[in-house]
Amino acid sequence: MNVYQPFTVRVAEVTDETADTRTLKLEFTDPAVAERFDFRAGQFGEYSVFGAGECTFCIASPPTRKGYIECSFKSVGKVTKAMRELNVGDVMGFRGPYGNHFPLPSLYGKSVVFVAGGIGLAPVRCVIWNVLDLRDKFKDVTIVYGARTVADLVYKRELEEWGKRPDVKLWTTVDPGGETPDWKGKVGFVPAIVEQAAPSARDAVAVVCGPPIMIKFTLPVLKKLGFTDDRIYTTLENRMKCGIGKCGRCNIGHVYVCKDGPVFTAAEMAALPPEF
Amino acid sequence: MMNATTISSSDLSGLAADLLAARVRVAGPARASDGTVEYRHAGAPAELVLDSGVPRRSLKEFFLPPTEPLFAWRTGAGGRVELLEAPLPADPAVVIGARPCDAAGIEALDKVMGWDYRDEPWFARREATTIVSLACAGFDRSCMCTSVGLAPDTTKGSDLLLVPIGGGAFRAEVVTAKGARLVAAYPARFRPASGEAEAEAFRKAAREKVAASAPPAADPLRPWLDAHFDHPLWREASLRCHGCGACAAVCPTCHCFDIVDEPETVGTGVRRRNWDTCQTPRFTIHASGHNPKNDQPARIRQRVLHKIVIYPKKFGEMLCTGCGRCSRACPGGMDLPEVLARIAALAGGAQ
Repeated sequence: MNVYQPFTVRVAEVTDETADTRTLKLEFTDPAVAERFDFRAGQFGEYSVFGAGECTFCIASPPTRKGYIECSFKSVGKVTKAMRELNVGDVMGFRGPYGNHFPLPSLYGKSVVFVAGGIGLAPVRCVIWNVLDLRDKFKDVTIVYGARTVADLVYKRELEEWGKRPDVKLWTTVDPGGETPDWKGKVGFVPAIVEQAAPSARDAVAVVCGPPIMIKFTLPVLKKLGFTDDRIYTTLENRMKCGIGKCGRCNIGHVYVCKDGPVFTAAEMAALPPEF
Repeated sequence: MMNATTISSSDLSGLAADLLAARVRVAGPARASDGTVEYRHAGAPAELVLDSGVPRRSLKEFFLPPTEPLFAWRTGAGGRVELLEAPLPADPAVVIGARPCDAAGIEALDKVMGWDYRDEPWFARREATTIVSLACAGFDRSCMCTSVGLAPDTTKGSDLLLVPIGGGAFRAEVVTAKGARLVAAYPARFRPASGEAEAEAFRKAAREKVAASAPPAADPLRPWLDAHFDHPLWREASLRCHGCGACAAVCPTCHCFDIVDEPETVGTGVRRRNWDTCQTPRFTIHASGHNPKNDQPARIRQRVLHKIVIYPKKFGEMLCTGCGRCSRACPGGMDLPEVLARIAALAGGAQ
């Protein structure tokens, strides 16, 4: 069996997040694989539907919850359309985990600020649950999440759950015009809401993921709040085929996103050629 | 390891015959019916042509085929899916008459194929294949092996290097244990080493010939390239580019690939790896439509930098062996020696 042959996984649960975004809960068909499979928050994998092909997604569930992985995807191309056709019980492929990860144990004792936009919440959600499952190891937890419209917010039930927790400060927002009459969150772009939330940078790190434009305008806000470049983490998702440093697609300069990433600090990103 | 032996042309043919008789696959430059010379599997020693210039395509397809199965799938009753492993390609083979630049390219690729995750199909072929190279006399003005730290007689990637010593004979330098095993397995085909002076003269003349027209060394250009990521140079170069990827197809070191599913019957199919190239517009496009390398200048830059900046930084060696094929194959007249000379001029002016 070569490195390109995936494990088989069975769809255990299908959850619609938005009109075109869906989460699959996947269980390994081989109990021995399920037993030994392990990963760290921030890692990704190659998911495939036999006959349609392979696609790269983060593992959206946290490593603290064993026995399954979750994958959230938007139906865009051939593979994601085929993934959308799958029902509970159907079998697909998974290779991984690949790439580096968020340095979670080294963040014990710190506050964590999560900033996400749109489907960019998927990789951040993995870290959020990882942190919440080990809640006593961290200080303040702040989450700022935004989407274009209310309908575009993903993980709605979890947002509700986080919002109710006394140990989580949650700020949700939608772009101006994206609100509904009963919307109780903020209206405004993510960077502005981060400024409003003004989480303390003292003993804190930030985890940021979302569209490039959101990241671009969020970084200066975080810096103003006192987060230095080495304490801001993000995860990049360039197009990949192999996921293991060979196929030649994901490099930014001499950095291979699949193996040197996908998790980078803002300081590391600043040193890369401007080719994101 | 560097011991040597001698082999005559007729014994080289005889060696090929012995290998074929032992059911070892023999490959080397061979002329097709259209007159072009390509690396091919030979059915008989006479098919090999060793005095014919540079084969149009490189040796890499013997190790990384243009298309290869990674595994097959079969769906059964109740949605069961069975995956069938692709057998590892382990047929013993000997390449006779490889260009040293091609052999060097194969060794350079071992790094990317082996870092952390081992590409088993690649290494299965590597282990099963012995490469007998033929020192090159220098071919044409597209040759630039001396600009990338190699030479027409480089032993990099070869198990045995043949150097012409006149009279139709070759001095055979044993480069690796695998090369030594080949010599040991067919002792009747080899004679005691001779022609050291003749071999040295051949090698010296070839190096001088290539160096005379090759561009300046690529190594020292790295700091300038790092400091000038955005430069009009790439736009100028891209004006000649059709984005066809011929350069990558003929390149001994371009190794980018795609992974695709090919259904065969209802419920069965094969996942394959196919050659791909960074020169096509959609190579790096995201699902969102965002494309980090969204124009041809960015794609030309990627190809050149991958070879002389990125790979050396990552793996400590060039991803270009100076074979000159990209320049020969380009329908738009893109010329890598010219691009390097231009960069060298810019870098020189900047100092």
